[in-house]
Amino acid sequence: MMAWGLVAGIMVGLVIAFILLRAANTNHRMKSDYDERQERIRGKAYMYAFYTMMIYEAAMVVLKAGEIVFPFEDYLAGFIGVILGCIVLGCYCIWHDVYWGLNNNRRRYYIIFGVIFALNLMPVVMQAASGTLIQDGKIGLPMLNILVIFMLAVFGIELLIKHFTDRSRGEED
Amino acid sequence: MKNLRLKAARAALDLSQEELAKKCGVSRQTMSAIEKGDYNPTINLCIAICRALHKTLDELFWEEEA
Repeated sequence: MMAWGLVAGIMVGLVIAFILLRAANTNHRMKSDYDERQERIRGKAYMYAFYTMMIYEAAMVVLKAGEIVFPFEDYLAGFIGVILGCIVLGCYCIWHDVYWGLNNNRRRYYIIFGVIFALNLMPVVMQAASGTLIQDGKIGLPMLNILVIFMLAVFGIELLIKHFTDRSRGEED
Repeated sequence: MKNLRLKAARAALDLSQEELAKKCGVSRQTMSAIEKGDYNPTINLCIAICRALHKTLDELFWEEEA
């Protein structure tokens, strides 16, 4: 039953993402357009994200073989690897000035990020308030939301650091 | 190595990095990286920049051997 709920949640999420991305790009295409330097940096970023996921998966095999008990349900382990890969991808791109595609409407993207942050924060806060966030010493499905919040927070902090370092370097805007 | 000739040609036309980048279909950060010498553009982008600034490839990108 819970598996079907999870699948339904992912499907709804994908549909919402599709609609939001189309609305957020100035040419109403789902895909962001990047220039040649950005494409090159993104290629490297995907490579590092792939390595991260490989190292994570290998580490998880070793840890599981060692019968280490994690504070989250086993079915979430794969998703953590995906989020780690996304963090590496995003951080590398942000640090190399590849955070905006040529057709991105920045204002709409900021709003989307805010909505995603709020949508992920809500179930965590609600479960924490009702005292059901941790059951049998493990975090269940809200772990997905916590990871997304963590990822967005990392991106936000990096964007702030990048903004201030660029400004101190006196880069032309 | 910084491309000061590109910067000078852009300034001569009173264009910002953002404006030149838009004319060439790239991001402002990419134009900044080219001027700073952090990124070597492809020949297609070099041509687009030259067209936007009414310059030749030699005038903007050719380096004499030392």
